[in-house]
Amino acid sequence: MNFDAVGAAAAEALTLASFIGIGGGVLLGYVVGVIPGLSRSVAISIAIPLTFYMSPYIAISFLIGLSKGTAAGSAVSAILLNAPGEASSAATALDGYPMAKQGKPKTALQIGLIASVLGDIMATIILIFVAIPFARVALLFGPYEMAAILMFALVFIAGLSGGSLFKGLAAGGLGIFLGTIGLDNQTGLPRLTFGYTELMDGLPLIAVAIGTLALSEMFVQSERLRYDRANMAVTLEHRPDDRITWPIMRRILPTIFRGTGVGTFVGALPGLGPSVGSFMSYGMAQRAAKEPERFGKGEPKGIAASESADNAVIPAALIPLFGLGIPGNVSAALLIGAFAIHGITVGPLLLRDNPELLYSIFAGMILASLIMLALGWFGLMVFAQITRVPPHVVIPIVVFFCLAGMMLQGYGTFGLVILLGFAILGYLMKKYDYSFVTFLVAFIITPMLELNLRQSIILSRGNWAILLDRPIALFFIACTVVALVMLAWRSIRTGKPPAGAPAD
Amino acid sequence: MPRSDFWSGLAVVAFGLLALVWMIPNYAGSNPFAQMPPELVPSIAAWIMIVCGGIVAAGGALRMLRDRVAPVTVHIDWRAIGWAIWPFFYLAGAIWVLTMVKITWAGPILIAGMLVLLGERRWWMVLGCAVVPVALLYVLSVYLMRIGVV
Amino acid sequence: MHRRTLLTAAAIMALATPALAEWQPKRPMTMIIGFAAGGSTDIQGRVLARVLEEHFGQPVNVVNQPGGGGAVALTRFMNAEPDGHTFMFGVQLGLTFSPIVTQTEYDIDDFRYAGTLVGGQFGVVARGDAPYQSFEELVAYGQDNPMTYAQQLPMDETIMRLIADEEGIDLAIVPTGGGGGMAPLLLGGEVDFAFSGGTHAQYTPTGEMNVLAFLTRDRSPFYPDVPTLVELGYPYAMDDFRSFFLPGGTPDEIVQAFEDAARFAVEHPQFVEVTVDNTLHPIVFMDAEETEATIREIRAANEELMAN
Repeated sequence: MNFDAVGAAAAEALTLASFIGIGGGVLLGYVVGVIPGLSRSVAISIAIPLTFYMSPYIAISFLIGLSKGTAAGSAVSAILLNAPGEASSAATALDGYPMAKQGKPKTALQIGLIASVLGDIMATIILIFVAIPFARVALLFGPYEMAAILMFALVFIAGLSGGSLFKGLAAGGLGIFLGTIGLDNQTGLPRLTFGYTELMDGLPLIAVAIGTLALSEMFVQSERLRYDRANMAVTLEHRPDDRITWPIMRRILPTIFRGTGVGTFVGALPGLGPSVGSFMSYGMAQRAAKEPERFGKGEPKGIAASESADNAVIPAALIPLFGLGIPGNVSAALLIGAFAIHGITVGPLLLRDNPELLYSIFAGMILASLIMLALGWFGLMVFAQITRVPPHVVIPIVVFFCLAGMMLQGYGTFGLVILLGFAILGYLMKKYDYSFVTFLVAFIITPMLELNLRQSIILSRGNWAILLDRPIALFFIACTVVALVMLAWRSIRTGKPPAGAPAD
Repeated sequence: MPRSDFWSGLAVVAFGLLALVWMIPNYAGSNPFAQMPPELVPSIAAWIMIVCGGIVAAGGALRMLRDRVAPVTVHIDWRAIGWAIWPFFYLAGAIWVLTMVKITWAGPILIAGMLVLLGERRWWMVLGCAVVPVALLYVLSVYLMRIGVV
Repeated sequence: MHRRTLLTAAAIMALATPALAEWQPKRPMTMIIGFAAGGSTDIQGRVLARVLEEHFGQPVNVVNQPGGGGAVALTRFMNAEPDGHTFMFGVQLGLTFSPIVTQTEYDIDDFRYAGTLVGGQFGVVARGDAPYQSFEELVAYGQDNPMTYAQQLPMDETIMRLIADEEGIDLAIVPTGGGGGMAPLLLGGEVDFAFSGGTHAQYTPTGEMNVLAFLTRDRSPFYPDVPTLVELGYPYAMDDFRSFFLPGGTPDEIVQAFEDAARFAVEHPQFVEVTVDNTLHPIVFMDAEETEATIREIRAANEELMAN
């Protein structure tokens, strides 16, 4: 590492302009992330025209700060309103909302923030010191390995569904089915598009995620207003025990480390994305816990696992971007565009030709994490005031932002109709206790899994022995088998009609 | 909840069957070169839905038989159902309006209408909640994103 | 060079001024891009929007309508007001290819074409350290070894299938999820060679990738030594250009105004820089008439190809 360059980079990172640029990015991202319905992609579309007027270093740090801000901000609406703005924060809501309902909204927010910031900083440090020279490791993960990992993720997360296993699997089946809509990736022929041009790229993930997660929750809550108006909202009581304490911190620290590891691994592999990371991390935390049944009922580890992985994916997705020029996920792909507007081609050449810029960006990323911690910590006081707004006022505003978020994406009326369709689906799933988590994960994973399976089958030319040269793929296939066996065992054990199943 | 298990399981099976006998044969397309034909994954998904939905429905039916409850409730609380589903119709109407009017103009009315329906009666509250988010969106989209869709 | 470009731009502007007097936008304009924010079309489009602001004297807003490789945007754009205030900057594939394989609501006759600005560079690439450094060597190698190829569009798959049959190559063809999916497959050594719609540009300077041949009709200005397939004796080509589209029924004077705008933009240093240096596409100018003729020509060629 070139220390002159590092010193110069640090100097540039500490100018007033960079503070304002990065801070503005984090703040904007945080606010957009907090509003359910407006997600990371909206934030980045806002940001691209803004970055025209900035220097390359500030522009890139601004964008990275923005992504980090949305990842941390979306936890707020997940915890306080049970309306996660993105699929990757859905796992946060599973424990965050129950915890907030139990009178500890501030603790939940603080756990989410600390997990976000720690996951973020650690993943950034891994990116800087370890990963770029080793970015080539990602190339060891060819189609066989990716197919095996995705298969494992699908089976593993299917086993997570809280209530009835078969209901969860049925929801997963629906997710797989809807995930296959779109153009066939080989022939370009439409599949299950029913003649609609708009469906050629598949159902837009944003519509599916906002519909099943945020909008459907508003319908559930508006129904509940009839019966339970007095005490359905999260209330902020100024309880002295409503804050994060050292014992809680000690309990969740190992989970944060594990979540960061999972998030970094998932982020470094091109294509997987933050949702897979946060659910994998949540599942692993649950498997590793001594009392797994406490998950879903306000377990601090659940929030920590999901948020740390969600945030670790963002810097980790830059590993293949800076190391190989391959974007790790959609937001990293958007960064390529931002770089290009500023006349910089991202990739291995960047480290060779322009190391100062790269180190400045790293310094900017660390600075963004610290600003996020400060903003988030004081912002909590402000955002916690959301709980003062009665739910019947929150509902119409969130509904409006969900519609507006779709309009801003440019999907038009068709997108709004799909949004409403998935809000109805999500409402029914919540009402009849079908796991929307399994549904969403199956929907996200299916297209990638199918493509990688197809590639593997064609490349192997039907020769299964080729897998013997692929230890990583074999390892994940073994994991998948283990997960399947556990799933089957669980279904046999619970297969008999649960006599006194608590009617929730 | 054996009754809701039964009916929801049945609905899943029905959708799976619909996919298997109508959607996939008619709309999945074909690919003579692929080792994994395009209808393979949707068909697997349809079978998962049929099998798992079937198990859920059967479990519900068994428990209903054991507890001797009728599969259909005699008493349906129409008012409760009405309360649960009006937001969907409200939103469908709003989407229809949005095909003609820009969200900047329709937005405040959309929010205000829903607020009143949900029981808010203070006029200043309705006005503030209707105008502020739309104004925020307007600033966001017109001045920051510089797009004219809203 | 810089100075000359500016001078040319000034000269073109002087030439274009009489046409401008005929039609001018009266309010802010909307430019539709059929891809999501961040892609190369989007980046070029956003810089183009600023160049057009300078040219037309009205703000130009960019609206992304992603989906179906531009087909979604074209479907919606078909019914736009033909008054020149809404226009599209897009790739031609939505017109030259999508209607062949799917039932689209639009066709070539539903639009007017007002000038081309950017050319494509579809090529066949291999790893820099592969045992073949040219297309001939690849064919010779393939006659002795089974090979794998990563496709991105049905057309390039068909072309490679035809060549493989002709040359007796045992070829397995895998689909990729676009340029981002191709790079790991090729660099990781999973496939022997691949189609590239432009991804190669950032890997050829380091020698990680080699362009073996271009599928386009003309050689690329960036790789003057790399031959096209036609030059190598295979009668197949696929090409794509980025042009201004206007709704059908747009009056001639507006088409003329956009043709002038295209002429202005391809000389504008800012647009040239983002296109050539940053998104690595060649600047290709065609007037309205030539653009439409090219689209029809490519469409006919693709239809013939897909009939195989």
